[in-house]
Amino acid sequence: MADRLPMVDKLWFILPEVALFLGVVVIFIMGLSHSKRVRDMLPMITCLSLAVAFGLTWWVYEGSRGQTLLSVNPNLMLMPMVGKYVKMSACAIGIILAMVSVGSVDRRLEAAVAAGHLPFDPIRANRGEFYAFFLLSLMGVMLTCNANDLIWLFLALELTSLPTYIMVAISRPPRVAQEAAVKYFFLGAMATAIFLYGFALLYGSTGTMILTEMQRAFAAQAKADVVNSFGIIGMILAMLGICFKIAAAPMHFYAADVYEGAAAPVTAFLAFVPKTAGMVAIILLLTTLGWSGHPSTGLPEPIMTTLWMIAVLTMTLGNLGALLQRSVKRILAYSSIAHSGYMLIGVIAGPANNGINAVLFYLLVYGIMNTAAFAVLAALERRGQEIETMEDLAGLRIKHPGMAVVMAIASGSLLGVPPLLGFFAKLYLFIAGIQAGQIVLVVIAGLNTAISAWYYLGLVTLPIMAKPSAQSETIVRSPFPWPRIAGIVTAVAVVVLPLFLGPLIRASQAATTPASLTTGVTISK
Amino acid sequence: MTEAVQLSLGSGWLAAVDAARSVIAGPSWAGWILWLPLISLVLCGVCAALKIHTKLPAWITVGSLAISFVVIVALYMSYRQPMEIPLLDWFNLNWRSNDGQAGSFVAGFAFYVDKLTLLWMLFVTGLGTLIALYASEYMEPDVKRGYARFFAGISVFLFAMSCLVLADNLVMLYLGWEGVGFASYWLIGYYYTRPSAVAAAKKAFIVNRIGDLGLALGIWLIYYNFGTVEYANAQGTGLFQILASGSYKHEAGGWSIQAIPFLLMLGAFGKSAQIPLYVWLPDAMEGPTPVSALIHAATMVTAGVYLLARMLPVMELHPAALPTVAWIGGLTALLAATIGMAQYDIKRIWAYSTVSQLGFMFVGVGVLTTYGAAFHVFTHAFFKAVLFLTGGAVMHGFAGQLDIRKISGLRHMPGWQITAWTMLVGCLCLAGFPLSSGFFSKDEILAQVFAVHRPWLGFMLLFTALLTAYYTFRVWFRVCAGPVSYEMGEEHHGHGDDHHHGKADTGHKAPPRHAPPAHVAHQPHPPRFAINFVLVVITVGAIISTFSGSWVMDKVSHSSAAVLHAADSHEHHPGWVPWLAGTIAVAGIVVAWHFHLASRKSADALRARLLANPLTRWLPTAMENKWYVDEFYEWMIVTPLWIFAHALYLFDRYVIDLLFVDGVARLPKWMGRSFQPLQNGVLQSYAVLMAGGVGLAILLVVVLMPHLRPWLIGFFGGGG
Amino acid sequence: MNWAADSCAFFAAVQPLGQLALSHYLITSAALFAIGLIGFLSRRNMIIMFLCTELMFQAAAIAMIAFSRFHLDVSGQVFVIFILTVAAAEAALALGLVVLLYRRRETLNADVWSELRETPTP
Repeated sequence: MADRLPMVDKLWFILPEVALFLGVVVIFIMGLSHSKRVRDMLPMITCLSLAVAFGLTWWVYEGSRGQTLLSVNPNLMLMPMVGKYVKMSACAIGIILAMVSVGSVDRRLEAAVAAGHLPFDPIRANRGEFYAFFLLSLMGVMLTCNANDLIWLFLALELTSLPTYIMVAISRPPRVAQEAAVKYFFLGAMATAIFLYGFALLYGSTGTMILTEMQRAFAAQAKADVVNSFGIIGMILAMLGICFKIAAAPMHFYAADVYEGAAAPVTAFLAFVPKTAGMVAIILLLTTLGWSGHPSTGLPEPIMTTLWMIAVLTMTLGNLGALLQRSVKRILAYSSIAHSGYMLIGVIAGPANNGINAVLFYLLVYGIMNTAAFAVLAALERRGQEIETMEDLAGLRIKHPGMAVVMAIASGSLLGVPPLLGFFAKLYLFIAGIQAGQIVLVVIAGLNTAISAWYYLGLVTLPIMAKPSAQSETIVRSPFPWPRIAGIVTAVAVVVLPLFLGPLIRASQAATTPASLTTGVTISK
Repeated sequence: MTEAVQLSLGSGWLAAVDAARSVIAGPSWAGWILWLPLISLVLCGVCAALKIHTKLPAWITVGSLAISFVVIVALYMSYRQPMEIPLLDWFNLNWRSNDGQAGSFVAGFAFYVDKLTLLWMLFVTGLGTLIALYASEYMEPDVKRGYARFFAGISVFLFAMSCLVLADNLVMLYLGWEGVGFASYWLIGYYYTRPSAVAAAKKAFIVNRIGDLGLALGIWLIYYNFGTVEYANAQGTGLFQILASGSYKHEAGGWSIQAIPFLLMLGAFGKSAQIPLYVWLPDAMEGPTPVSALIHAATMVTAGVYLLARMLPVMELHPAALPTVAWIGGLTALLAATIGMAQYDIKRIWAYSTVSQLGFMFVGVGVLTTYGAAFHVFTHAFFKAVLFLTGGAVMHGFAGQLDIRKISGLRHMPGWQITAWTMLVGCLCLAGFPLSSGFFSKDEILAQVFAVHRPWLGFMLLFTALLTAYYTFRVWFRVCAGPVSYEMGEEHHGHGDDHHHGKADTGHKAPPRHAPPAHVAHQPHPPRFAINFVLVVITVGAIISTFSGSWVMDKVSHSSAAVLHAADSHEHHPGWVPWLAGTIAVAGIVVAWHFHLASRKSADALRARLLANPLTRWLPTAMENKWYVDEFYEWMIVTPLWIFAHALYLFDRYVIDLLFVDGVARLPKWMGRSFQPLQNGVLQSYAVLMAGGVGLAILLVVVLMPHLRPWLIGFFGGGG
Repeated sequence: MNWAADSCAFFAAVQPLGQLALSHYLITSAALFAIGLIGFLSRRNMIIMFLCTELMFQAAAIAMIAFSRFHLDVSGQVFVIFILTVAAAEAALALGLVVLLYRRRETLNADVWSELRETPTP
């Protein structure tokens, strides 16, 4: 039993998070420093601690101790190896995100201090907090993967979300950032209450908080044919509440406004980090049901119906919403919604059809290509303001050829143009869906992809082909090179990684091998 | 219906076994066929980034394509038997699902090389090299602008086309399929400042998406039913091997198997511009002429024929599939020929004739002479490339003039001899003049159509052949023969304005053009070395391809496209068909000579008057004019067809364009707009929508729950 | 396990002034959740809205405690302590945010923050 394990062993797998936490403490303190040089080191420390966490994750899972722990105690976690994949991708993309965010927070304050207009006042400085919260939120994602307990899951999800509320608010000075924060926070609190109530009902139904035992309890209920409705309703409430984190219908309404209001690097963060945490949480919760309730997909019918409707609504509303936008960030926000819908196809397909690893792979790919798109927005500016509309991108190739190509590659990949990474991720999801017999769902997703061509092609062709507009003439590079470098790195990854598809997919498959999925009791049909 | 089909059910598959059983590992240097265009793409990108305003990108592209052609030739020389060349590990998944069933999804980045592959690759890379060379001169006004972008697009196209043809599995084929579509989009929209070019690019992309959806679904269904997407592999679990052994549980009654040929067909129709998806190809002529020649005439559009030929064993999964292909091909051939007759723009005429000739090829596949189809693809690739390239030379020299009424007597002009005579060779081939290459390849298809007892289809095709000969020589007699006279086009490239090439009628409203007089060249400039050289080489190729029949047959009959009995049924080919076809071709040419060379003036006058007032053509007064008695005959014969063609053209323009292209664009936007009020920016209205959504979901599930009880029992094991 | 029958039995257990059963607590918790939700949706004052989310949290907490007693399992009560902690953290965040917003606009009305929205397209 998991409970017999010494506490230290239980904590073995969160060593990477501990490393991150040390980074958080250091950054909090360094952010208060009066020396500009020290403050400028913050992003570097962030990347460094993420790199350490990346290495530690590998070591912790692949090292002999981790392997022994897992083999001795199969009930340690519901899906033990999912942590390795998700944590490593979160750390890798976190490094890129940290690069994108260089220079976005406190720009005006730092400039004033450097010019000598203002003395440095630690109370007014936000940079330290920003990067600390950045790491804390990533820590939340990583902890989500280790959850074997509703309490842990709840805390990890909150740890992911709470820092992001503050990050939105302090990301940039204009009023819209605060408006985004207030919407995000209040609606987020409501969603939290909803999934918390769902957790309570799940607890009532099974009498346990521990996910592996919950799986057993559900199996026992099934055997005795005494299922109580709390289980199903609780699961649906929990799923819908967590849908807020992945920006899925009907909890997606905040996304466009919040993404538009926050600074571009924070938006990139919001589109990847809470989404990953939410997806992992949904997968863990559904795994307690055992994945054997439906001959092809593994989910009980009411849950599957709900998920099906959520998926269809999410991708359709996301794509339709994006069609009408002029603001690039709003387009990417709606596209983020739509991509959550695509990912839910994999969840519906279930592990037997390679659905779950398709989702995990898609999360990684989405993180890369979405960050590339936002890196372009972060790398360019007009009079210190972010660029906003499509017209700003027109004819970017003349003055910023590199960023134009990055934007085109990122949007092409988001659309799923074949040689790029996004195509394969989507293909992998759709194959899972077809294999699970969800032809209709995949056809709807295909139609949605066709609709999305409208706005993605605009993002591909405008920077590359259109004539520069009056607005785009005034755009200059931001003074910090790092967002540009991040954009180029991610764009190269989008182009080159398809050649390493085999290893990447095998890694995602290892994260959800049936062995780790069936650590609990398999329900006989 | 189809003894032919039934015959092939036995023999076609045997050939596939034969081809698949003996797969050997091929040489890994063949990978350079793919890597070279990729390298050239990167280098072109570097040239663009470094703002190198020379012809360097062209030489890089021509060089790398030439080397990849040499690699293909080397592969051809060393070819002994079907080869498998793995390049990269890609998809290689194996799993065991909950119910203990093992599954796998294997799709490597690998080549499958048999003779069909080699045939296609030889002309794709060969013509690609030559046309890139031609483009190096043709595109020179753009050296300071999109030169590198153009050649990068050509490199992408060659990369994707090689992927498509060389693929050893359907996923890689699909990758190439989408890739060529993207390259086509890129190059059609090359003159992106022209709204009509952008619209044409979008139209091509979107119409192709419909076909691509069919192909994608077809591939998924193949995987779903046969558990593999590989053609053949060493374990003997490839698609052809499964089909050949008949070990797929003979569930041929299931819709999911029977739908496969039709879905693949949809993909082929999209890419190869057949009814109902042909509408994009004529508009695609908005692209630069070398692109029209390479992508939209010689190579990419034959990808559909390649797909069906390659997948011939799969096409036999439903008995009605191949006859459908044949009829659609025949109807497309006729329809496009009638439309082509009513056009004045040289490129548009060639475009419709491409659609029409592709129809012939599909008929060839449909009546199971994959040999005839491949032969026609091969000869057509050459002579149509010649025709487009000569058209491009005219356009290049006459400042964008493409109207056949405004250029005459080209062969009497100094420096235009090569253009005029190579165009004549191309025209003879296209018209199917006896003993030309087009004559033999078209005859192969026609004869087979009569041999499998489809006389109606056969006579329809013969009639199409008559029209083809007529409209082909209508162009030649108008443009190359007759007295010397010309009007320069409205535009001239190379003087800093963004509008490059004029075109007569694109079906789209072009913005008003402002061509300052200073920019208009008054003297045509004849083509120089690169264009003339390429024209001569390809013309020689077109002549040589006349004698390539048995060579092509050898290629086809040693591949999965082989139909063993086709060789036998050769003897059943009715002997009168070539005679009739030849006579018809000559007759068409004579009619064209009569109306477009001998008494051209009156024809022009009548046409001008008829066009001036569309109503007059319905009035008897027009007929009573004995003055125009020669035209009266034309009127009797041509006008009904002309009206028919124009009706279809209008249908295309107003119904298909508005309904499908624009309508499809509007519907989602309209739907999106109707959801817009939900995003009103007020926090609490979002909260209400969210809470309402949650409530609705709970309500639905709770209300549905009693009805879902059976499933719930299924889920929870029903008490063990 | 027909849901209808299930819920009938459930409500039948609620006896007026009888012994307190699980169902009483659950109804209390559901009512509290509903009050919180309705308050959240109807009130415009940001502080009240925040307090309403607290009500929803506490509704979940009551359900947890009831179930904990019902199953004779302490983990539900442990969860409640964590809920309180997180609620406190959220309160700190909310108050900070509210102060910031009040400084900007001099009002606590949530409706004034609706600049970010869909711009109607022609």
